Amino acid sequence: MGSIPTRFDVIVVGAGPAGAAAAYHAAKRGFKVLLVERGRGAGSKELYGGRIYVGPLRDVWPGIEKEAPIHRWVVEERLSIIGDGEVATLSYRYSNPVSFTAYLPDLTRWMVSKAEEEGVVFVDEVRVDSLVRDGEGRVIGIRSGPDVAYASVVVDAEGANRLLLERAGIVDALDAKRAPIALGVKEVLKLPKGAIEDRLGLSDGEGLSWLIAGTVTKGIPGGGFIYTFKDTIAVGVVVHLGHSVNAVEAGVLKESVKDLVESIRLHPYFKRLWRDSDIVEYGAHLTVECGLDYMPPHLAYDGLVIVGDAAGLLLNLGYTVRGVDLASYSGMLAAEAIAKAHDLGGMNAENLRVYENMVKESFIYKELVRHRGICWLTKERRFFTSYANILLGILSNLYVQEFKHPTVFEAVKASIRSGGEALLPLIGRILKVVREL
Amino acid sequence: MRVVVGIKWVPNTQAVRFDPRTGTLLREGVPSIVNPHDLVAVEFALELRDKYGGEVIAITMAPPSALKGLEHVIGMGVDRGILITDRVFAGADTLATSYVIAHAIRKIEREIGHVDLAVFGQETIDSSTAHIGAQTASWLGWPYLYYVTKAEPVDGKLIVERTLEDRVEVYELELPAVVAVAMRSRKPRPVRLANKIRAKLEKPLIIWSNKELGLDPRCVGLRGSPTVVAKITFTPEVPRKKKIYRPRSGDDAAHWILKSLLADEKASKILRRILGGEM
Repeated sequence: MGSIPTRFDVIVVGAGPAGAAAAYHAAKRGFKVLLVERGRGAGSKELYGGRIYVGPLRDVWPGIEKEAPIHRWVVEERLSIIGDGEVATLSYRYSNPVSFTAYLPDLTRWMVSKAEEEGVVFVDEVRVDSLVRDGEGRVIGIRSGPDVAYASVVVDAEGANRLLLERAGIVDALDAKRAPIALGVKEVLKLPKGAIEDRLGLSDGEGLSWLIAGTVTKGIPGGGFIYTFKDTIAVGVVVHLGHSVNAVEAGVLKESVKDLVESIRLHPYFKRLWRDSDIVEYGAHLTVECGLDYMPPHLAYDGLVIVGDAAGLLLNLGYTVRGVDLASYSGMLAAEAIAKAHDLGGMNAENLRVYENMVKESFIYKELVRHRGICWLTKERRFFTSYANILLGILSNLYVQEFKHPTVFEAVKASIRSGGEALLPLIGRILKVVREL
Repeated sequence: MRVVVGIKWVPNTQAVRFDPRTGTLLREGVPSIVNPHDLVAVEFALELRDKYGGEVIAITMAPPSALKGLEHVIGMGVDRGILITDRVFAGADTLATSYVIAHAIRKIEREIGHVDLAVFGQETIDSSTAHIGAQTASWLGWPYLYYVTKAEPVDGKLIVERTLEDRVEVYELELPAVVAVAMRSRKPRPVRLANKIRAKLEKPLIIWSNKELGLDPRCVGLRGSPTVVAKITFTPEVPRKKKIYRPRSGDDAAHWILKSLLADEKASKILRRILGGEM
């Protein structure tokens, strides 16, 4: 079997939105591309909340709106603050939707099928054990068990859990307690036909995104989410990993983060939405929380470029989470940079750093920098406990009156006092959040 | 030696659910896989090839999506795959399936070369009949042995071991022969990068429809299948009381179980009847 060609121009590790885009655009530019995936089939290891912003993807995947397996366009956003007994909900309806829901594995399979149409050699069920380097440290290929495949450049699209980069000494091993990493856990509930539309006030093809903050996360920084699909609803939480580990150790969580998902699913306010439903799927995945803090020292090295979650390119603002579009976009930039480096004479770090510059000049990096300040919020426990109760207290002071109604100011003051907080620092913190967002 | 190994492309039965009202399987959205017991047969065939040389040809009768399954076993190291696919083969029971497989093996002998051994898994996870090996051997007129755990070619014959519950039997089979490999008798090897790349680039795959096989339509597919599925019944799960007890020792566990059984009126009656005077 010595005749098997194991030399490619580009090897992409990981067939997710980033890897598929890198492979597709590199093949389109005439490179011979190998795309390697650990799971069975493209996207089979993926898990995310459920919503994708379409703007940047139009550039990366021509025809996505027509061809991709889109479930519903998100026409309404809801945000609920949950207290110990009360719920406050804010909703916003778009005039023109900007995002859709989809099953990410289905969408990724579509992306990879596009890449294969361009001539990408896609192999699944193969785990890459390590990057192969030459004597001078240049990445020259990948190793999988007894086999090695060589390439002029390797694109690392391995996702948030970057074992290859750890083994290569490019990033530190993941420290569960300190890393800017969150854990997402979700359940998918299958509903009777027409129930989603009836119960959530949606028309055919319309979708809803619903974020949940407050005491449901038991003081762990993070929040819950609800997304609507064709005939299913995803419900889950994304919580800071380090705080979750502490919460389990301290006994705040009985078993694990899945307790929190259950507390939303069984919450009296929400459970009526999915009565008569079946849990058809559940899962958990790591996700990047503060992209800039997770970014490797460089995005390009000799013979190596890093894209998507592995590069820390994920934007989590609390009220929106964007990853798929940024990942795909970074994959496309990597392919452009590889073409440029090829024209410049080779895949050394100097030439490939074009990619790093392209990312830094793109909307991705600008967004990450612009919203960097919000990261402190993920460490601020009060926002997820006492502040939620104060807000709900204000509303209850305003509404729950039998004879006389207080002024708004009186309601605010009373609630803050009963929450054990002082007014001025609280206002300071709220202003900070508003400024950062 | 040239070994043909039969594989079946089956719905992942762990993910299939049953509709108790209609009596049908809910297969929607359930991904198919290679029957896990067939992967044991593939491993058996690959071990023979690795030790004694030759080639391994995987063969399956299935819709075109089964090419993924052939790619999987080529990823394990199988040399080439043959997909037999045609609408006239649809709805086949084991008799009609084995008829097609046997004729495909004859065609391999005519066009590729002499076949020494045909290997099958012990049974499939979606029907568990264990018919195909025996029936294929019968159509071909070759000797057949099942529950096989070991094989070694000696002087143009095959020394075969099979493991039964209480003994190991050793047989000498005239070649060519058919064997069904005991499930769990070996661990299928993982897919390899180099083999997967080969599967994609060289595409060592052959597709045969009935145009190539030329079989009588009355002998294949639904028409060639005398089996009638009269009814599928569903045994609903009986709700059981669950208790977890962490015993300190084996004796402690036995005492606890006995105490729990005696506390239950029905269970204690049965227990007293069985044990009689010993209680």
